[in-house]
Amino acid sequence: MDDLSHGFSKYPGLNGFPRPAPPKTTKKPKKAVLFFEVEILDAKTREKLCFLDKVEPQATIAEIKNLFTKTHPQWYPARQSLRLDPKGKSLKDEDVLQKLPVGTTATLYFRDLGAQISWVTVFLTEYAGPLFIYLLFYFRVPFIYGHKYDFTSSRHTVVHLACTCHSLHYVKRLLETLFVHRFSHGTMPLRNIFKNCTYYWGFAAWMAYYINHPLYTPPTYGAQQVKLALAIFVICQLGNFSIHMALRDLRPAGSKTRKIPYPTKNPFTWLFLLVSCPNYTYEVGSWIGFAIMTQCLPVALFSLVGFTQMTIWAKGKHRSYLKEFRDYPPLRMPIIPFLL
Amino acid sequence: MAAAAATAATKGNGAGGGRVGAGEAAGTRKKKGPGPLATAYLVIYNVVMTAGWLVIAVGLVRAYLAKGSYHSLYYSIEKPLKFFQTGALLEILHCAIGIVPSSVVLTSFQVMSRVFLIWAVTHSVKEVQSEDSVLLFVIAWTITEIIRYSFYTFSLLNHLPYLIKWARYTLFIVLYPMGVSGELLTIYAALPFVRQAGLYSISLPNKYNFSFDYHAFLILVMISYIPIFPQLYFHMIHQRRKILSHTEEHKKFE
Repeated sequence: MDDLSHGFSKYPGLNGFPRPAPPKTTKKPKKAVLFFEVEILDAKTREKLCFLDKVEPQATIAEIKNLFTKTHPQWYPARQSLRLDPKGKSLKDEDVLQKLPVGTTATLYFRDLGAQISWVTVFLTEYAGPLFIYLLFYFRVPFIYGHKYDFTSSRHTVVHLACTCHSLHYVKRLLETLFVHRFSHGTMPLRNIFKNCTYYWGFAAWMAYYINHPLYTPPTYGAQQVKLALAIFVICQLGNFSIHMALRDLRPAGSKTRKIPYPTKNPFTWLFLLVSCPNYTYEVGSWIGFAIMTQCLPVALFSLVGFTQMTIWAKGKHRSYLKEFRDYPPLRMPIIPFLL
Repeated sequence: MAAAAATAATKGNGAGGGRVGAGEAAGTRKKKGPGPLATAYLVIYNVVMTAGWLVIAVGLVRAYLAKGSYHSLYYSIEKPLKFFQTGALLEILHCAIGIVPSSVVLTSFQVMSRVFLIWAVTHSVKEVQSEDSVLLFVIAWTITEIIRYSFYTFSLLNHLPYLIKWARYTLFIVLYPMGVSGELLTIYAALPFVRQAGLYSISLPNKYNFSFDYHAFLILVMISYIPIFPQLYFHMIHQRRKILSHTEEHKKFE
């Protein structure tokens, strides 16, 4: 192994100070500090990308990623996936080197996850779009509808109500992104921002076009329908917010702990008794309310697409809960009580 | 593009199992494949489809000989064309239940685009049925499908003649552009009639606050060929290089 005869190790200890010389080898070594060597190979080509010697046994994957970045600065830690097997799962940042099933020379395989972008950035961009775009249609800026309608205002109350609801919904989302949510992952692939923004901005424009159209037809059952739908919308928005707060309180700031969520004193959180992801349940409910309120088919289609996506996410989340917690409440379904 | 997608997208109608993405010729890969019952069903399916498209091919030839011209041959093969092309919807099911190792999304896209052309364009806009462009894509599809389904049949039986493999990965070079041209020209020919009749379109005001302009939609479909067709075409060319050169190497060492 490395010659420990140097006075100081070339690599500073983790606190940045030079390491004191290890004890001279005697017949009975008292506490041999065994350093690891880490070689990083490309998962696809098996090419040797980096060799790290004198790695602390308690080094975490996060620290190894930082060391790797020094030799390959274009691969910042967020875009590194290191794994023990080229086709295996990514190691977590918190994993400790000596706890992994490796010998003193560890071989890690590297995959480039591609350019990354922070979740917060993506969320803010994808939510700011609909907020702004809807208002363009609401205020009937030129070139959307015929010129005689430029900057006119709809004569239907429900149209004004819809604008308020839609705008407050996205303001809520923006504020939650900034102040409420605690993200497990810092980043996601860059291409997601284009995909996500196309989805949110596209649908927002499509819905807003019809709701704010001069030829818009108000709901068939009039004020009754609007009132009922508004109630559904508001209740579900409060519910969704309550769940976000409850989930936030489950996880202390800066940590990545996972716990089973349970109902709290807030009645909106009692949906946790029946469902793993009540935030999604409430979100679907909000959009159904908005669809009924505006009686607009594109809104219904948006709700359907959103529901499909959220169901996929809810099922995944539900499965992880079941895998991780033996005592997970059996009554719970992923997203719809008793059904789905 | 429906023609292009046909060969590019489907990874094998139960071609012994292994993912075509890696090349059917990747002999060292463990092939899990569908069970014996599924294999029997798939062989029957692919044989029936091969036969069906042969019927269409024969029908075209007979009609040409009887009429003496290649115009308006669509009417002679309209029924089997609709039947067998629509029958391909089963292939989506095959992927969904897992007896065929292809992507459901890709297969859906391919089959739906064919079905769209048959029903939502050619069938729906009668004026377009006598166009020569229809013959262009029908011929391209017919040749492609006969080769494709026989390819799958032989693969399932683990006895794939090199000729069929060669044909599948070579003829597309001509058949794709031919099929795409036929499709685009047909859609283009349908446009004025769609606009005139307001076909499949709904306008404001209405109580669902929704509108749809089929004419504009068809134009968007035509535009979508621009990014999609080159991708599929070059994917097939890439596959061709991989699969046909691999087989030749194999032959060298035999």
